[in-house]
Amino acid sequence: MGKVNNWHLKRDMEYVYEEARPKRQWAIVFDLNKCIACQTCTLACKTTWTSGKGQEYMFWNNVESKPWGGFPLAWDLRVLEKLGRQDWAKNGSYAGKTIFEAAPPTERAVHFAPQDEDWMYPNIGEDDCMGLVERGGHIGALPHDKWFFYLPRTCAHCTYPACLAACPRKAIYKRDEDGIVLIDQSRCKGYGECVRACPYKKSMYNPYTRVSEKCVGCYPAVEQGIQPQCVVNCIGKIRVMGFVSPPAKARDDNPIDFLVHKKQIALPYYPQLGLEPNIYYIPPIHADRAYLTQMFGPLVDGAIERYRKLQEDPVAQGLLVLMGSSDRILHRFEVDKGQAAGFDEQGAEIVRVPVTERVVERLAFDEKLQAPRNNTP
Amino acid sequence: MSSSPLLVLSVLTLSHLSWANPLLARKTGTDLSVPDPKAKYWDSVPQEHVPLMAQPMAIPRPEVTRTAQVAVQALHDGKRLALRLRWRDADRNEAGRLGEFSDAAAVQFPLAGKPVPPPVMMGMKGDPVHIFHWRAQYQRDAERGKPGMKDLYPNQAIDMYPMEFADPGTTSTDEAARDKFSPGREVGNPQSYPKNGVDEIFAEGFSTSAVQEGHQSQAKGNWENGEWTLVIVRPLAIEGGSTVKVGSSTWVGFAVWQGGLGEVGSRKCVTMTWTAFELSDKS
Ligand code: SF4
Ligand code: SF4
Repeated sequence: MGKVNNWHLKRDMEYVYEEARPKRQWAIVFDLNKCIACQTCTLACKTTWTSGKGQEYMFWNNVESKPWGGFPLAWDLRVLEKLGRQDWAKNGSYAGKTIFEAAPPTERAVHFAPQDEDWMYPNIGEDDCMGLVERGGHIGALPHDKWFFYLPRTCAHCTYPACLAACPRKAIYKRDEDGIVLIDQSRCKGYGECVRACPYKKSMYNPYTRVSEKCVGCYPAVEQGIQPQCVVNCIGKIRVMGFVSPPAKARDDNPIDFLVHKKQIALPYYPQLGLEPNIYYIPPIHADRAYLTQMFGPLVDGAIERYRKLQEDPVAQGLLVLMGSSDRILHRFEVDKGQAAGFDEQGAEIVRVPVTERVVERLAFDEKLQAPRNNTP
Repeated sequence: MSSSPLLVLSVLTLSHLSWANPLLARKTGTDLSVPDPKAKYWDSVPQEHVPLMAQPMAIPRPEVTRTAQVAVQALHDGKRLALRLRWRDADRNEAGRLGEFSDAAAVQFPLAGKPVPPPVMMGMKGDPVHIFHWRAQYQRDAERGKPGMKDLYPNQAIDMYPMEFADPGTTSTDEAARDKFSPGREVGNPQSYPKNGVDEIFAEGFSTSAVQEGHQSQAKGNWENGEWTLVIVRPLAIEGGSTVKVGSSTWVGFAVWQGGLGEVGSRKCVTMTWTAFELSDKS
């Protein structure tokens, strides 16, 4: 049993292995204010990775409507229920127990074991509002008292993966070059310990091959400097994939570090579970604050406040425009003279976009041609 | 979070002692090449009760001992050794769908014929064990074929799988091309291919077990009235593996999994010590 540092919790915690951070850590930031639940990400992933036998209900990427949706069924409520009430301390550190610390001596992690039928409703609760909307209620004050939001999820390629901790065969490993967590398909025996232990339920069992499978972070693309399929196909351009640093090594010109550390508007979800998950969310500003707090922790108020003020920050605005503007991984970005640019690992410019789109006004009547204009395609 | 140091200590110090009476395999004139759990000839073979305990060392582990003992009988025919195991198990489970696990049992021998056996918990680096691992799931493969998706989910409906289309004549006959969409098969994981009833495995400690190719052992289990009766037959001498000699003694260990109670992998009941085992040339 090792003592490791978990900066999401602002404290050390227990984990079965010693702290061994990879050279760099794969991460995605999602702006939940922009997700439209089109599921293009889900299908991009599915057609790339899980179209085979035994993968029919396997969604490495899924998008669920909160609060009622969840795949597998009520995964979040069920793991929180198992963990029991835990609290954050006043100073922002986590005073409760993680799933590792609360585990009985026989287990690596507090968990619930999902059953077959739990995986059979991938889109349950979609678009269900958290309650009935009174007549006129939708135009009332913000935030709405009735709300829902979309939560797209992939494996978080956690710094302290529960899947890896629980595998008695040590068939799961975390890559040093990018922090991607993989199940060795030749060594797995399908015990399903990872399926039980992962609190986010992102490790899944294939009954045809009789081994477990999980999101591979699109590592073949990442190795070539390209972002994962769910990121580059995102219709809402809500995602950016890159590498996140621990706080002490954060660089302001790294897009992920900028959103996570400098602006602190992107937060990990359910950090209290103790895995240091590496998918980060910009919280939806109009959803219920108490709900967001239980999901994203005590930093959510500040994150929303800063997000609301982004219009005063041209650099942040520039970065948000860069999201979804290139398939390549942006290692560095800069915003200057109304333009945002992204650079690859070697420092070569790979994308340049105007921070504010040029507005062209086309009058209804063309004076030069003396002809009316219309928009008939 | 770790297992109690006291317990670990007692396991280590006891590991070379034996809790059960020594087992004896007498010689029979009957051909043992086909395992038969219901054969009459077992009636006259003496039976030893070997105690099992919830596996205490590797996490995850079971909270309670679900199988407290296994009744063992042994016979050899000069070429093969047959072990018959019986244990109580309320349900018959052969796994298949997600979250379902198979009933299973294993017999373990030291791989090398050293005077002192390796640690009973699956051996150690440089001192391996040779395991014969039967699963009801593997037996189903042998008897009825490895289940396809329609076997596991009879009501499933699917438009198509890659390289396999509904229109006659449009399915690719190239199995390798289809396997590209089944990672376990593509990389040759033995779990993803039809099994023969029993796996032969070498291990040098927890998490090191590796299935061996070209195994010659066989097994057959029969579940009736809340009890499994299983016969595992192995050649006395296995090239590159363990060898048991007539007229001398060795060691044997056992493990049982009740799949219906979620037991799989390290969640199992095991013998905490080796059982001494002698092969007699008398019948
Ligand atoms: S593709 Fe983008 S916008 Fe569409 S559901 Fe996925 S994350 Fe949301
Ligand atoms: S999200 Fe789950 S499957 Fe992915 S690395 Fe973390 S614990 Fe493992």
